[in-house]
Amino acid sequence: MPRRASSRTHPVRLAVALLAVAGALGGGAYLWTTLSDPYRTLAPIDIPTYLSDANSLRGNVYKLTGTIDSQLAWSPTAGRLYSVVADGGKTDVLPVLIPPQFDHVNVQKDQRFTFKLEVGDKGVLTASDMRKI
Amino acid sequence: MKRPLLIAALSGVAATMSPGQGPGSFGGPPAASQPAQAAQPGTTAQTAPAGNSGGGGGESATPKQQGSFLGGDAPMFDPGTEIFTWDGHNWHVTDNRLFQARFEKYLAAPEETTADDKAYQQIIARVLDDLAPGNATGPHIDEAFRLLARASAYDIDARLCDSIGDAVYSAWRSQDNQGRLTTADNALEQERTATEWNAKIAASGLQLDQAPASKDKAAAAAWQQDENQKRDMEMQQYTVRLAEIMTTIKANQAKKELSELDSKIDFQALLVQLFLQRRFQHVLIGTRFYRAVFTDGDTALKVGKEANDLFANSTGMPPTVGTMDSMANEVLRDVREGVQAFEYLLSQNELESASKRLAESFTVGEYLPEIRTLPRVEKRKALQFEKQSDQLLSALEVKDYTLAEKLVTALSTTATDFDTSKATAAIETAKQISAFHLAKARNAAVSGDKATLEAELTAATEIWPRNPALTKAADLIFDQGDVQEKALVDLDQLMSQRNYRAIYDDKMRFIAAVAMYPDRQDQLKKVIDQMATVDTSMIQAQEIAKQGDYAGAWEVVEKTFQKFPDDSKLNELRANLTTEAADFVRTLRTAQDLEQKDEVGSSLAWYLKAQKLYPNSDFAQDGIHRLAKRVLPESS
Repeated sequence: MPRRASSRTHPVRLAVALLAVAGALGGGAYLWTTLSDPYRTLAPIDIPTYLSDANSLRGNVYKLTGTIDSQLAWSPTAGRLYSVVADGGKTDVLPVLIPPQFDHVNVQKDQRFTFKLEVGDKGVLTASDMRKI
Repeated sequence: MKRPLLIAALSGVAATMSPGQGPGSFGGPPAASQPAQAAQPGTTAQTAPAGNSGGGGGESATPKQQGSFLGGDAPMFDPGTEIFTWDGHNWHVTDNRLFQARFEKYLAAPEETTADDKAYQQIIARVLDDLAPGNATGPHIDEAFRLLARASAYDIDARLCDSIGDAVYSAWRSQDNQGRLTTADNALEQERTATEWNAKIAASGLQLDQAPASKDKAAAAAWQQDENQKRDMEMQQYTVRLAEIMTTIKANQAKKELSELDSKIDFQALLVQLFLQRRFQHVLIGTRFYRAVFTDGDTALKVGKEANDLFANSTGMPPTVGTMDSMANEVLRDVREGVQAFEYLLSQNELESASKRLAESFTVGEYLPEIRTLPRVEKRKALQFEKQSDQLLSALEVKDYTLAEKLVTALSTTATDFDTSKATAAIETAKQISAFHLAKARNAAVSGDKATLEAELTAATEIWPRNPALTKAADLIFDQGDVQEKALVDLDQLMSQRNYRAIYDDKMRFIAAVAMYPDRQDQLKKVIDQMATVDTSMIQAQEIAKQGDYAGAWEVVEKTFQKFPDDSKLNELRANLTTEAADFVRTLRTAQDLEQKDEVGSSLAWYLKAQKLYPNSDFAQDGIHRLAKRVLPESS
């Protein structure tokens, strides 16, 4: 009797296929992330530099992603001042002034935001845009 | 008893008085202290120096008595106060320097019991025996007179027997003169009779001329005149001689009377002198000789008025030789009794009374055998008591109450009758008052009242200069003063160095030192309050650190440090805690530095970071709040 051909998949092929699927998923995710960041063209703020000499960054625009820690002050005309724990370090907390044009955005503790920041006079970080993430 | 004492005191004063020295020179100025009113018999009440320990202090009496012998009053002695009053001055009989010196010399002298002393007393006894009433016959009088010369050879007699013998001899010579004057008077009387007879004969044999005729009246008158002249011329020699004889007779009578009176006065003066010299044995010899020599029975004293008054006022009778004799005998008896009392009291260890009795007897009968023969061993006991008594008086006078107390104890031990009440009262009173002033001085020292301190110390010193407690208290107070001064200097120095920790560590010393300086008190109070705050914060920080909260401990210390940056202990703890909470401190200081540089954003970020490290940080919270206000000035 003639021998029947085997129907089982070869393991090598299977591994390659899995790698291909994983790569596709990773790439998709990367693309998704990159394409979905509106401030992907902005450089993240250099926190150490800012902490040591904010004046040297005056006039620059950066992006900052972090978690709202607390509201430090509020002025109906000048906006709200929040402390934001920057991603990547629990003790890197930056003050961010959210001007009144973002009053419609509810900002609460532990919410994550990505801010487009401008280093203003005396090193005050003022949000020129913000996105909740 | 009063009478012989009066005489004795009087004679004692007279004996101790040097020639030309009046009574006023005894005492000098009157003692002003502790006057006591003593009513003197026969005198007005006068101030007497009762208890005068100065010795010999006489005191002037009323002004009207000044400047006259006896001062218009007879010398008087009051046995109650032992005060003798004479010529307006008062003396304590046994308490004056002259008496004390004489008495102490006697007490220290050996008894006079040598062969010479005994022989002398035997002679005196024989003389008195020969002259005793009933024995005073011619041979006995002659023997007594002969013995006077022998007695005067002894020193103790002071040749007084010679004086008596001289007086007796003078009296006898005087009586011889009177005999011769009587003989002369008899001869003159015979002469007078003869002269009168001659005159009568002459007058009867006178031949008269014939008278002229009776008609011629003028011739008759002339004749009569011539006849009268002729008779007067014839009788004149007899008349003159008769007048001369009568004058001589009268003169001789006066001489006789005066001669006897002179010799009596001389003799009586000697007797008075012996009496005043307290030579009572010689007085007896003299009075007995006087009676033997002057047998006319007239023994009345014919001395001066003052001496006459002396005896008359003391005896109350007209002074006579017999009065002196009886008084001398009374003195002898009194001295014997005094010596017996002394010996008995001495045997009972009653030295105070014994000494007084001996002093009284010595005052009266210094030269009597009972006094002179008293054994020195017995006298020494009295002398020691006297010396200690004098020491006690001196100690009380100079306010040495420590010594006085010892002497009182010693005297009360040796003399069972010594009265300690007065001395003890004086000592205890002085001690209490001194202690009272010292206590006030200490209070004044504590309260810083320097004026009161000085016044009270002075008062305490005046009352009891040698008070041992005074020295200790003064040292203590002055030491305190030194300590206080040093503490104040230290305080000022530490204040200038802002070394409040050192001030706080020694705060008790500085609190005491600034007690009298209100300004410094305020400064010190601030420092102490400040350091109390520092200490409290340090204790608090240490407790927090024990729980591992170094950042919290550091914050507590740091807050205090900002107020009081000069405290070394706080600095030390702060340094330790800075090490322990290094990340937090560094973060906070970076925030502060950046805030100083007006880098609001960075500084705020650092404050926020510090708050993350120590969420309870007040410094971080304050910094955040402060900087947030700068970012949003309108924020609420």
